[in-house]
Amino acid sequence: MADETVDIDIGEVVTKDLIDLDIKSNTKEDVIAELTDLLVAHGDVIDRQGFIDDVLLREAEGITGLGQGVAIPHGKSKAVKNTTIAIGISKHDIPWESLDDEPIRVIILFAVRDIDANTLHIKLLQKVAVLLSDDDFIVNLHKVNTKDELISLLRKDPEGEDES
Amino acid sequence: MKIVGIAACTSGIAHTYIAREKIMKAAQKLGYDIHMETQGTIGTENALTPEDIKEADFVLLAVDIKVGGRERFKGKKVVEVDTNTAIKAPTQLLEKVVDKLGLTE
Repeated sequence: MADETVDIDIGEVVTKDLIDLDIKSNTKEDVIAELTDLLVAHGDVIDRQGFIDDVLLREAEGITGLGQGVAIPHGKSKAVKNTTIAIGISKHDIPWESLDDEPIRVIILFAVRDIDANTLHIKLLQKVAVLLSDDDFIVNLHKVNTKDELISLLRKDPEGEDES
Repeated sequence: MKIVGIAACTSGIAHTYIAREKIMKAAQKLGYDIHMETQGTIGTENALTPEDIKEADFVLLAVDIKVGGRERFKGKKVVEVDTNTAIKAPTQLLEKVVDKLGLTE
């Protein structure tokens, strides 16, 4: 139930380079590092350790596991050059503090510039957050097999009538 | 039942918006009329109007930080929880609050 429609393309922030459908890590810290490597390689994060530190700082402030196998670690950091998200899906359970006390398999890492002039990108991240409040979206997220499937799932309008 | 509320989390990126959506969906399912403001990293959105607040039976704050404009709720019943409580079980949260405040219709 988004009051303000976002008519921009989620593909602008989520590219295939920022998706890993076979996360290898077994711990929260390693998963965050593994996804951060994608952000660094893509040029969105300029200071690897600085970003990881900021994400872990946020982790210390409160639970980012939403339940239903999904976690949304995030860092608002000087180390971020472009506001975006990296998505990892694992074939195995990863221990993570979460609202249902269950491990997770889907990790959506939000990288947000410390001072973001581009509210457009923040709006796109908001759209992802709104999608995450939808149980059907979560179910489908766990069924994703390809990066294209994942991107088209994210492109879906939260209300379900989008056809782009 | 009319409800107004605010969602706001520490970084104002994700939990704020997930909490808002979860509460809105739960409220609609229960047949309640609800307006939720967000105070996030890009400022206030879906700001509550004085009319919304005036008509509300109570104010629900799903917040992890100090929010702006609390003085708007002077004289109203205000219930405060953290965003994770709202995300985890929004329907139970609303039912519990309505029950506790003796607002059951």
